Amino acid sequence: MTRGRWWALAALVVILVLAGRYLVWIDLANRCVIRIRPSLVGYDNTMVKRALDTLRHGSPADYRNVCIHVATINPNPACGGFGGGCFWHHEGQKGRATIDISTEHGLIWTVAIIVHETCHAIQYHEGRPPRFDLEHECYNEDDRIMRALVQFE
Amino acid sequence: MTRYAVIGGVLVVLAWGWLSAFSWFDALALCRVHLDVDLLEGDRASIKQAIALVRREDPPAYRDLCNWVDRIQEERECRAGDPQANPRFRGAVVPIEWLEPAQRRAREAAACYVRGSRIVVMRRAREGENPATLLRERAEAVKRTAGYSRMFWTDAPR
Repeated sequence: MTRGRWWALAALVVILVLAGRYLVWIDLANRCVIRIRPSLVGYDNTMVKRALDTLRHGSPADYRNVCIHVATINPNPACGGFGGGCFWHHEGQKGRATIDISTEHGLIWTVAIIVHETCHAIQYHEGRPPRFDLEHECYNEDDRIMRALVQFE
Repeated sequence: MTRYAVIGGVLVVLAWGWLSAFSWFDALALCRVHLDVDLLEGDRASIKQAIALVRREDPPAYRDLCNWVDRIQEERECRAGDPQANPRFRGAVVPIEWLEPAQRRAREAAACYVRGSRIVVMRRAREGENPATLLRERAEAVKRTAGYSRMFWTDAPR
């Protein structure tokens, strides 16, 4: 192999390693693959992975819901009233959806946002209409997961 | 031979420096806990002091920390619930006095364990907080939360 090809191979390996570390969540045991979009504002994609890992062990039922209903996580700025995430109602969300989350408030809040936005994805997949007040149910979900996972005394 | 020894020595020093800068690193105990703090407001040194205190005072708790915690993450506070689940509080800044007692205690706690992880979340120091009191609270919280992590992963109380 020529020196140029070695460099090309090395570059490819570096790109694959970085993409594997930052842009995709792969859990073969649970057959769960989730794409994580690059963050344009310096949010930490590894925080998303830590949150998914926490859910996987701490609340397997919620983790299954994420794997079933979410294909892509977009870790970009807060866009919703919840203080960290949004779910957009449109045709593209059929099948597994995309959820927007921020990671700026730390691990616990990131876990909560994932559960909250997954709740909206489930509502959408159940055919519930947009503009109907569905927030209450999802606030209860993120409240529930925080109470279940955070142990302080 | 000498050249390789020098290169090896430099690499070891660099690795040691890297590990010590961003984590609690105790080579003799084979213990490394990553310390994740805010770039501007964070304070790794005081977390290290708290861990050093635990190592001195309570070896079993220190072993729990080394075995069952791989990251201490400093955040503004621990949150054990979402006040916005109550429609009255939605979209508003909720003063701590309005929270239910458990949520209030969580926010005041020096640290909490997040079940399902090997991560301890430590409350960031507040302005004017007494450093000696904070150190003691953090050390006690490290002992307690390391035990929670061990119990989660082994399902066994000590």
